[in-house]
Amino acid sequence: MTRGNRILLSCIYWAFVLYVFVPLLLMILMGFKDSKFIGFPIKSWTLDWYLGVFSDAEVVSTLTYSVVIAVLSTLISVVVGTWIAVLLEGRKFLGRAAIFGLTILPALVPGIISAIAFRIYARLLGIEPGMGAIIWAHAVHNVPFVALVVMARLSTLPKSQIEAARDLGADPIIAFLRITLPYLIPAVLGASIFCLLLSFDDFVRSFFLGGYEPTLPVLIFAKLRSGMSPEINAIATVALVLTAAIGIWAERFTRRTNKDAKP
Amino acid sequence: MSNDATTRREGAGVAPEHSDRTFWGWLCVWAPYTALMKLVTASPRRQFIILAAFPILWVLTQHLGPMLQMLRVSLTDAYPVAPGVEQHFTFDNYARFFGEQIFWQPFFRTLIFAGVLTFCTLILTFPVAYFLARHVSRKNQMLMLLLLLIPFWVGEIVRTYAIMILLGNTGAVNLVLKWFGLIDRPIPFMYTSFSMGVGIVYLTALYMLLPLYSALEKLPKSYGEAAADLGAGAWTRFRRITLPLTLEGISSGCTLVFLISTGFYATPVLLGGPSTTVFAETIAGFFHVAGDEWPTGAAFATIMFVTAMLLTGAFQKLMHTLRKGDTK
Repeated sequence: MTRGNRILLSCIYWAFVLYVFVPLLLMILMGFKDSKFIGFPIKSWTLDWYLGVFSDAEVVSTLTYSVVIAVLSTLISVVVGTWIAVLLEGRKFLGRAAIFGLTILPALVPGIISAIAFRIYARLLGIEPGMGAIIWAHAVHNVPFVALVVMARLSTLPKSQIEAARDLGADPIIAFLRITLPYLIPAVLGASIFCLLLSFDDFVRSFFLGGYEPTLPVLIFAKLRSGMSPEINAIATVALVLTAAIGIWAERFTRRTNKDAKP
Repeated sequence: MSNDATTRREGAGVAPEHSDRTFWGWLCVWAPYTALMKLVTASPRRQFIILAAFPILWVLTQHLGPMLQMLRVSLTDAYPVAPGVEQHFTFDNYARFFGEQIFWQPFFRTLIFAGVLTFCTLILTFPVAYFLARHVSRKNQMLMLLLLLIPFWVGEIVRTYAIMILLGNTGAVNLVLKWFGLIDRPIPFMYTSFSMGVGIVYLTALYMLLPLYSALEKLPKSYGEAAADLGAGAWTRFRRITLPLTLEGISSGCTLVFLISTGFYATPVLLGGPSTTVFAETIAGFFHVAGDEWPTGAAFATIMFVTAMLLTGAFQKLMHTLRKGDTK
């Protein structure tokens, strides 16, 4: 590990940081350009595009629509994912490996195939394309992430705590509600935020299962197909700020609770 | 487990005597609840069934169901079935794939593309992960990793658009090149396999970086030092120690990135051109038109899924044997 080596590696790291940030920063910058055409150089600046976003009824209703879908699908994923985790963690039974494999299946199926499979299955279940179908697809797709996160947390719960509760007369349900569930809260919250972001950012499932009303990524996609404009930059920046803020907050939150949890 | 349950039930009967007035104390003695609990915990077997029934039903109907239904539809000649038409079992949809070049060409293009891009992502992120895991203090590691995480919370479409702005004819890259006098006329990066590749690597880099980082972080520094004391050069140390001991991270990172890159739809549509059509676009095409093309689309999706699973499975197996061979 020579000094030169270290400097070279650090340069690579910072180059990677640039590679990751510069495109997004340029995109944000372009939303302030006082011209209809995307591209450099930027000669004069304006806030009009951003003001336009918040006064555009379509964008605002799309944003609400996306948030509602994200929240409802997350609620389903969290309940189902936690339930599966409680069943799988620390229990041995016939077919456990198969159930575990099936649990993580939706996370492994490549995007387009998962969207197609959901589209076909929605028809079988009689779910019309639209809000319900998107919520359902997002919920199913996000279950594996919740299950994995909750299982990881559950495996660190000392068995003695449950045993103590049971010895003191708690039945399995009360022991679960009073011991297991509070212990799982940080993992459940972390997983919820991850699901919220996954659902809010998802394009391919929303695109194939959506009705006439678009979610935010679908709206941006549709607008992009008819040409780039700073208006799209402003919409995309709003989406970016929202997701990044939630992400950073969640990261800090989970870090703090993890620190607290350590004995 | 069985005798545990009986003692516990007797224990539950004791609880009312404590008569604390909290919600839980009240719940324990509330008749409908105790009756329900008696029913639920009657035997460990019943308890297990009540716990397991819903998750098992869910994964079978919601996780496996869509895949099986896709397979079933791919083997029929018409779906959704119009009234008065009879549905027949057929392999025609699969035969169609091999019959026409416009179908199998995007398929192989997607596989080659995904493979090449996975390799590029690995080469690009390995030094970054190595730097973070080996050359940065523990406290800064988290901060510097977090810095890289931020952009990855941003959605697929927004980041694809960012790449469009970066690589456009009046984009930042062309501007900089022109500024340095390297070119007179903008280079048309967009709508080529290059722009598509940059976009996909941009979207998947994190899924490679995190497994690599956690594998490298677990690797004790002393191994490298010991090898250096014994006279191994930098390259030998890398080849004989770092690489074999991080194969697990490499294997899971590559599997993730490969699977994700085969599934992209919006990014190739926005960043690619007519000569870079990927299989996702081919599959999607069958779902934009009238319903009777669905079986073909389902068949193509099944072909892609099975191939992707077989390839990643074979790859993981290969990495596994490599790992075993090296640690002997």
